[in-house]
Formats: sequence, C-alpha cells, structure tokens
Amino acid sequence: MVKQFLFLTAAIVLNAQVKHEDIAAGPGKNWLTYHGDFGAIRHSPLKQITRANAGNLVAKWTYHVDNALKLESTPIVYEGVMYITNSNEVVALDARTGRRIGRYLDAHSQLRRVNKGAAILGDRVFFVTGDAHLVALHRSTGALLWSKQYADPSKGYVATLAPLALKDRVVVGVGGGDSGVRGFVAAMSASTGEELWRFHTVPLPGEFGADTWGKLNTDWGGAATWMHGTYDPELNLLYWPTGNPWPDLNNEERQGDNLFSCSVLAIDVATGKRKWHFQFTPGDTRDWDAQSIPVLINGDYKGKPRKLLLHPNRNGFFYVLDRVTGEFLSGTPFVDRLNWATGIGKDGRPLEIPKIQPNAVGIKNCPSLRGASNWMSPSFHPKTQLLYVPTLEQCDIFTTSGLPAAKLLGSLGGGVDPVPGEPGQFFLRAIDYKTGKKVWEYPMPGPGKMWGGTLTTAGDVLFAADDDGNLLALDPFNGKHLWHYSTGQNLTASPMTFEAGGKQFVTILAGTEVYTFGLFEPSPRVTQ
Amino acid sequence: MRRYFAICALSAFAQAIPSDKQLLDPAWINEGRRQYRLACGGCHGNGGEGGRGPNLADGASVKRAKNERLFGAIKNGVPGTDMPGFNWDDEKTWQMVAFLRSLSAPAMQAIVPGDVENGRAIFHGRGQCSGCHMIRGGGGFIGPDLTDAGATRTVKQLREGIVAPSDRIAEGFQTVKTVAVNGTKLNGVVKNRNNYSLQILDEGGKLHLIDAASLREINLELKSLMPGDYKTKLSAKEIDDLVAYLARQSVRAEAKW
Repeated sequence: MVKQFLFLTAAIVLNAQVKHEDIAAGPGKNWLTYHGDFGAIRHSPLKQITRANAGNLVAKWTYHVDNALKLESTPIVYEGVMYITNSNEVVALDARTGRRIGRYLDAHSQLRRVNKGAAILGDRVFFVTGDAHLVALHRSTGALLWSKQYADPSKGYVATLAPLALKDRVVVGVGGGDSGVRGFVAAMSASTGEELWRFHTVPLPGEFGADTWGKLNTDWGGAATWMHGTYDPELNLLYWPTGNPWPDLNNEERQGDNLFSCSVLAIDVATGKRKWHFQFTPGDTRDWDAQSIPVLINGDYKGKPRKLLLHPNRNGFFYVLDRVTGEFLSGTPFVDRLNWATGIGKDGRPLEIPKIQPNAVGIKNCPSLRGASNWMSPSFHPKTQLLYVPTLEQCDIFTTSGLPAAKLLGSLGGGVDPVPGEPGQFFLRAIDYKTGKKVWEYPMPGPGKMWGGTLTTAGDVLFAADDDGNLLALDPFNGKHLWHYSTGQNLTASPMTFEAGGKQFVTILAGTEVYTFGLFEPSPRVTQ
Repeated sequence: MRRYFAICALSAFAQAIPSDKQLLDPAWINEGRRQYRLACGGCHGNGGEGGRGPNLADGASVKRAKNERLFGAIKNGVPGTDMPGFNWDDEKTWQMVAFLRSLSAPAMQAIVPGDVENGRAIFHGRGQCSGCHMIRGGGGFIGPDLTDAGATRTVKQLREGIVAPSDRIAEGFQTVKTVAVNGTKLNGVVKNRNNYSLQILDEGGKLHLIDAASLREINLELKSLMPGDYKTKLSAKEIDDLVAYLARQSVRAEAKW
C-alpha cells in the first residue's frame, strides 16, 4: 500500500495552470483576480441569476473564520476552489459547500493587519503578510514555496493589499502612509519572488517632482500604495493609485503639490517606469488618498471611442481620464456635500476655495476625511453604461496639530471630529460617465461605517453591500430593490460571483464570516 | 495583599532576568525537566500535556505568558487556583521556566543535537521523505509540507512524526480510498469530509471535490500513509540528524543559532 503510493507519487500529474490569458479574459466560471478582471469593471458574464429570479436567492453556506480581523477579502475562485484571506492567513474552501480544504497561517509575521485577498497564477496562490512579505503557496496543497520580504516594518511599512498577478510577475504595494513611509510599487518574479523593479511614489532630491515637497525630507512623504491597482494588457500599463502626503493634515513643511501623492500612476509593467501621472488632490491636507479604484473601460466619449479611466475620488469629484495619455477629460462632483473647491479646472486641478484649509481652530470641510468614496469597489455594467459607486455624504471638522509630526507614530498632523447634528449617510449612486451626472441613487440608512463594494452581472443584477450589513440585489437600470440578506455584521468587502458544479453562486465576506448565496432549490436527501 | 507580594517578588528579581539564550541552555532545560518530574507532573502530566492542571505544552496562556509571569506563577502560585507557590531559589525557578518554554518552543528556537547536512541527505535520499513531503517546492504532494517545519513544530513533535507517525495523523492527511457509484476508484488523503461532501487530494497533487452521494464506498485508514518503521530503519543518530535538519527548516531565515 505504502509502496504503491510512493510509486504513484513519482509520476507527477500536471494540474491545469492558471495562465495570464485566463485572468485577462475576465471572470466567468472562475474569478481569478481581486476585481475579477484587470480593468476592475467587476462585471461577470454569468446569468443564471437574473433580475427576474434574484428574489429567490438563498444562503447556501457560511464559513466562519476563526480569529478573523474584519474580513476585507474578495475571494479568488478557480475550478471550484475558493481562496480567502484573513490577517496573515489563506484559507482554501470547497466553493460549492464551504468546507475547508486547507489553511496556511503564517508563523512568522510580526504584524497583524487586515488583508484584502489573494492572487493566483500558474500553480500558485500569492498573498501578503501584515509585515510586508509576499508569500507563494501551492494552490492545491498550500505548500509554502517562498516568502520574500519587500518592505521593512520597522520603518513603518505594512501590507494589506491583494497582490496583482499577471504575466510572469506579481505586483505589490505598501501601507504606512500615515507613518511617513516612502511609498513604492514593486514587481516580483512569480516563480522565485526576486524583485524585478521598484517605483518610488515620492521622488528623492534631483528626481522629477522632488521640488514639489517644500522643506520635507522626501525619504518620508507617504504616498503609500496600499490598494490593488488595475492593468491594461494591450497598453501593458499598470494604473496604481497612491495615498496621502505625510503628515496628513499639516502641510507646513511640505508646501507644494507633493508628487506623486493622491495620484494615479501609469507604470510600464515591463520596466517599472512611469509613463504618466495624474494628481487629483495636489498638496492634500485632508487624507484624501486616491485609493478609489481606477476603473478601465473602452467607451464613447464626446463622439469618439477612447480608452478611459474612471475614478470617483475621495475628494468628491468623479474623474474621467484618457488612460493612454493621462489627459484629463472631466471632473464633476458626485456628492452634494462638497465645500472645498468650486470645480475642476480645464487643466485637471481643483479650483480650491481659499481659507478653507484645515487649521488649528477647526473648520468644517466636505467631504469628510473618509472621503466621498474610498477603496470599496465600484462596478460598471456594459449594458447600462453606468458606474455604480458607493458614496458617502459626510463632512468633518478638520483641525491641524501644532505639535511636530512624529514619524512612525502614525501622526496625522491633526485630527477630525464629526460635525454635530450632521451624521453621514451612504448612497449607492449610478453615474453616467459621459456627463458625470447621477442617473439614480439608492439611499442606505446606517451608521456610515461600511466598506462594502459592488458587482454587476450579465443576468442584469447589481449586487452591493449596504451600510446596515445587508447584501443587496438591485436592478442596475433603475436601482429598484430585488433582494437583500442581512449578514448581521458591518460589511467590509465586495461581492463576487462564480460557477461551480454547473450553478452560479454569489459570495461576500462580512466581519468574521464568508457567506455564499445561490438560487433556491429543494435539498437532495442524503442517505447515510 | 497577595497581589502586593507578587509585585514585590517581581521587582526583587527584575534585575536578574536571564537572557533568551540562557533560557535555551540544554543544561538548564534538563535541570528544569528533572525538577518538573518531581514536583509538577502529578497535576500537569509528565509531558506537560495537562491533567488536573492546565496543558503547559500547547496551552495558549503559557505560550503567551512572558517569562517573568511564568516565574511569578511558579514562585508565588496562581491565586484562585490549586496551583501552589514553590519556594525555590531564583536559578532553580528560572530553570523551570526554561523547561516550560522548551515544551512549546518551535524547533528552530531550540538547540538540537544532530548533523543537519546528514539529515538533509537522509531526507532526500535513503529516508525517501521527499517522495511525499515538500520543502520549498521540492518533493511530493501527499504528506504535510515541511518548508516551515522548524517554525511550526516542537522538537518533540518532529521526532514523534518520524518514529510514530500514526499516533497523531496531521489534520487533512488521513488516507482514504473511495469507489464511486460508477466504479471509479480514487485514493488519496482526505482534507475534509462530512456526510455530504469530501475533499480529497490525490497523490499527484490534484484536488477532488466530491458529493458523498456519488460514492459507493469510502474506506478510511487509521494508519498514516507514512511508513511506521523509521525507528528501526534509521539509527538513533540518523533520526537525530533528520530532526536537526527539519528543526532548521524555516521559510524566513530567522533561526538565531
């Protein structure tokens, strides 16, 4: 018996490999990258679940994650196996049943941080530990292949993002922008973990943009890269969003635009060189990271077909850029509570209202520090041509601190308080990118604390998290309610969909659980 | 009052806390083990695995406790429990702390006898370990991955895994043979199972997600797939060497010595 097994082991069976082309083809039965597709439109071609039958959705299984740290992961699904992440942990589940196949818990990580998900390529699953190691696991067995440190936590770096796997490489970024790290994007070999290139988001003296930082030592600076970027395989460009300059609320030491903070960077994935950049909030003083998702669509714009980048920014404006050149096409407000700028100029720079900058006394600024939208995923439906954006109407009182900012202490250089009597409220807004206008909205009563995103399907269903712990199914044409399910927890992740065993499922992670839904069917009898 | 005494005791020895390395000294650990057998095994079990008193080998409270806290618990007892204080001198008490630490310390943090290079040769050669176990992507699929063996297992667990593999089969590695209703046979290890579904990894590293209803037979083996005769097949020195090699396996190069 033993001998027979040893003999068979020698004859290695080659399992199917996840190819770059499979990921580039976008979601189908599988969901192979954080957003489902490289361009982050988050639209699935599956259509068993439709506008007509979404009311028959029921819970199929729930998986509880022990010691969950506010689950933020969007699952990867490949051939019926689902990979979810928790802090320093990957769990493989049977996607039809929610039964655990295996679990990798990192025994080394020095930091416990939230985690947004895994990546898959070849026979490997990748994820990052809280202390910025990229880890490669065998996708069937969970066997540990390598673990490479790419940033130093003792300098304030942390890692929380889902890595982006493409071609022969895995692209990662870092958090720690509130501790004064110097942000960067790095690509590492998918086979060995060897670093292929690194692009710093804060230039050193003499480099392009270094003169936009005033007196600040740009070995600090922030401009973290904590959110998964998007990718255009035809242009071979990454679109990587960057975070706030540091110290967040106090710009005394860093007078200027602070490149490349609060920007999107177009980076050549082969070389790591910047092709162009666009800065949404120059010299930001409100922690308005540009980490909302840069959504890539090819569409008609003013009568011309263009390769576009859509981006609802934390600063309250919805941007349309040409993603080939970085040309600014439009910037329109998508929230009503907006008092810091009158609009966006023809050059793409905000027309700021003077004397409304955060100050030592405290001043009401809108949007709030959390922003009009944030990292929660929007989605696009090719049929409606609308972008669905989780939107927060909220203001804050911003106050700067007179104390010198202390690096590594998470010093924001100030703080915010809620505006008395003006609680924030979430809305799911459908935006027509051609006009920047809101076509419909779905109000979401709640505490203003959710981080959930959205998904559209060819069955004409829009799935979205609300601010009260519900997963919703809405009609993407008009925002009418089709179905909802209360998870009983604040939602901190985005829904996704897949097919296994011939059936379509929808999954969302919430707090400490993985919830999976499908259409009702009578349970088969099980004989024991 | 009791708390007051505990604080006094803590401050009294605060200057004399031994270094981490001192606490790894095999002589100290052995002396601690000797005292433990005399005084502690009755309640905590001779292997430290618990009884009337808590498990000291796997229990989270001991693993998480700082050295000073363990010292204080031994010296002063634990209020509100049956654990008495032991009025030993400081060195003896620290030796006990060293032994307690050794019970749950990852193998990579322990000083282990044995020839690492010879262990490597056995793992990949005569021992045929790499036919089933993987280290850093090299090896077979059907046994537990050992890339991080030194970081995730104690020396005791490594040794037991070699000489008595069927005593504790790792979760997800029970051998299963199934026959489907249509006659198809599948052998592998069962990652998970209940009355409704099974998740099986075959010897080629392929996962099979199976409805229980599609199977005619499910035969679970109580014995590990791993040969049970390493204790006789390898010499005591060779087993030491293999343990030493596995104890040094850590995906991050952070073994201190």
